[in-house]
Amino acid sequence: MISSKILNVTRQLRSKPGILQSFSRLSSSDMIDPPEDPVFTIPRPISREGEDLEQRKARLIYQSRKRGMLENDLLLSTFVAKYLHTFTPTQVDLYDKLINGPSNDWDIFYWASEVKEIPEEYNTEIMKLLKLHCKNLNKESRIRQPDL
Amino acid sequence: MSSILKLQSFIVRGVANNGFNKVILYLRQTSITPICSRSLHLNVDRNNAKCSDASSKAYPIVDHTYDAVVVGAGGAGLRAAFGLVAEGFKTAVITKLFPTRSHTVAAQGGINAALGNMEEDQWQWHMYDTVKGSDWLGDQDAIHYMTREAPKAVIELENTGMPFSRTTEGKIYQRAFGGQSLKFGKGGQAHRCCCVADRTGHSLLHTLYGQSLKYDCHYFVEYFALDLIMEDGECRGVIALCLEDGTIHRFRSKNTILATGGYGRAFFSCTSAHTCTGDGTAMVARAGLPSQDLEFVQFHPTGIYGAGCLITEGCRGEGGYLINSQGERFMERYAPVAKDLASRDVVSRSMTIEIREGRGCGPEKDHVFLQLHHLPAEQLHQRLPGISETAMIFAGVDVTREPIPVLPTVHYNMGGVPTNYKGQVLTNCNDEDVVVPGLYACGEAASCSVHGANRLGANSLLDLVVFGRACALTIAAENKPGEAIGSIKANAGEESVANLDWCRYAAGSIPTADLRLQMQKTMQSHAAVFRTEDVLREGIDKMKKLYESLQNLKVSDHSLIWNSDLVETLELQNLMLNAMMTIVGAENRKESRGAHAREDYKNRCDEYDYSKPIKGQQKKDIKDHWRKHTLADIDPKTGKVSIRYRGVIDDTLDSQECKTVPPAIRSY
Repeated sequence: MISSKILNVTRQLRSKPGILQSFSRLSSSDMIDPPEDPVFTIPRPISREGEDLEQRKARLIYQSRKRGMLENDLLLSTFVAKYLHTFTPTQVDLYDKLINGPSNDWDIFYWASEVKEIPEEYNTEIMKLLKLHCKNLNKESRIRQPDL
Repeated sequence: MSSILKLQSFIVRGVANNGFNKVILYLRQTSITPICSRSLHLNVDRNNAKCSDASSKAYPIVDHTYDAVVVGAGGAGLRAAFGLVAEGFKTAVITKLFPTRSHTVAAQGGINAALGNMEEDQWQWHMYDTVKGSDWLGDQDAIHYMTREAPKAVIELENTGMPFSRTTEGKIYQRAFGGQSLKFGKGGQAHRCCCVADRTGHSLLHTLYGQSLKYDCHYFVEYFALDLIMEDGECRGVIALCLEDGTIHRFRSKNTILATGGYGRAFFSCTSAHTCTGDGTAMVARAGLPSQDLEFVQFHPTGIYGAGCLITEGCRGEGGYLINSQGERFMERYAPVAKDLASRDVVSRSMTIEIREGRGCGPEKDHVFLQLHHLPAEQLHQRLPGISETAMIFAGVDVTREPIPVLPTVHYNMGGVPTNYKGQVLTNCNDEDVVVPGLYACGEAASCSVHGANRLGANSLLDLVVFGRACALTIAAENKPGEAIGSIKANAGEESVANLDWCRYAAGSIPTADLRLQMQKTMQSHAAVFRTEDVLREGIDKMKKLYESLQNLKVSDHSLIWNSDLVETLELQNLMLNAMMTIVGAENRKESRGAHAREDYKNRCDEYDYSKPIKGQQKKDIKDHWRKHTLADIDPKTGKVSIRYRGVIDDTLDSQECKTVPPAIRSY
């Protein structure tokens, strides 16, 4: 059952020409990719009890600018610059979970750019907003992180 | 307003507490009122470090003692940490990012190792390719070590749980990658690159982080390392800032490993994450130690202007072409036959010449366009997946209607902290390599030097793993867990705290982001792919002025809690050190080798002219040729760079196992 789920995801990824250019380059009939789900889990960033909203937002700004891959650095830093100050505590919580939950940052990018199916737990109003931001309907230039 | 001078003295008070030595450093200041109103009670692993005087002017200091401290939690740092904890060393990892957010995550390619799963392969062939790729600037003992250890290192990863993609027989699948050949360049393309689908980098981080936690590895996540603690020429640890609460942490340690990554962000257009700010090289520079070969910077011709996202060369393969501001397809002039499919170097250089001669696009005429919209939309989507999305998300460009602004984009820093093949940091005294006791470096932060003047694809992840492992092996061979550590002065790290305090209240006129952008644009125009005496000299003059402007920085946020502005200011100080050494090194090196191409010195300059038979030639003295490493020292106060040299190591570790690959003209 697990393997059929994996196959489905893989098929879906390969049939949808998305941002996975290297993936399609890699795909080969005699190559077997490992399952998407990791073999073991690693601890996630600690949850921070008792953090006030202001401090939490300051942390999320830092964490949105420092992602390890420039695509998310740019996508998330422009996103928080635009929206974080408008977020309610609940929305802040959803955003916190989104950027601190997934282990692989590429997943966040592929969800936001609609290359990969979004898991239920992250399919929230914030993800909807991030997808819209990602579409860049106003054709903004996002070549730099916004000034602090 | 505030200045380092006003920090007159520190009162140091040591209180023993639960095995930790707690010291509170108070800054006695006259004009500074720190906005530090939050309680600084520490939690979890730091619960013995409560600061009772929460609203004072104090920078509370927490002291820790470890057998080994690793700075950076990317592939190299995690591999080193994993090796150390497995050998029973009490190890701390200090990282400004959660481990899986290290830039290693961006590596989608793979790891080279001559496993021979697809065809017969030998590590000696891999070694030959790597030496040739380095344009004979690589140290052959280190390349010998890396390529020989590669299969072991990869099998170890597999045994650790890294889920490599497999062949139908269950072996690790290996694919072809540029620059990899069989039989010393004569046997055609090698299949040597091991991968985990398209997420090799993430899988590496995930595996090593997870496994190191099975032992008792202490992670200090979202701590920013400020400086090395050096005493009597030895490294005795690191001082770091906790970004969550502003506490200062001194890690006293027998062994310190720098695995901080590259400094791509010194340039305007780079593929690296915004956190690649050369913190390790900068710490080493501030400790008065040299950096090696920083002038060797690898560029990719087509990154999205400023954003840095790579637009694959496949675009030009599919019929896309580059145009200048006049709409001219300029590659036809530079490479009449190959046109837009000319080699990377030629394309990058031609683009830069167009820009320099005033035919660049955009308001600042500082990039060119890659046009794809003459191609059928269907073909774009089918054959170049992802390009349309990337161009729209970051540049706001619809590739079916508009061209993409592109620029040669920094991809990798070959230079870094000089080390030997064991990972020990080197300095140079009287032309002799001298090991700096207690200090190690690995990964992109280091120059050991396996990449020499240019790096081959899929050799960088290998570098991380092999030399992260080597650092751990060396430490394990030369130390025992729990050994005595040299003492550190009570006020160790005082200067770092003073600098932190200075940055926090910097009240000049240039915001950090502005100065950073000026530096990045200067480096991009003057120290990228088109290098001549005039261009570089002009660049050095501009960079000197910008370096002086560091004194005039303005930081708006004075808090110590998640202060991104403060962190980016500290990072800018680090970038500036890297950038100055890079541009001075580039001006100084009067030859073209690997990624360093001088328009005015087009040839490689070796001890012999290898384009002719060596017989009958007089061997040039090391003073008169350039097959030598640059060692750059910088005065952090003034930014003044001085250059010395270090010979290239041609001897392998064992000539029985493999002989030196003799220098030759590099052609593919």
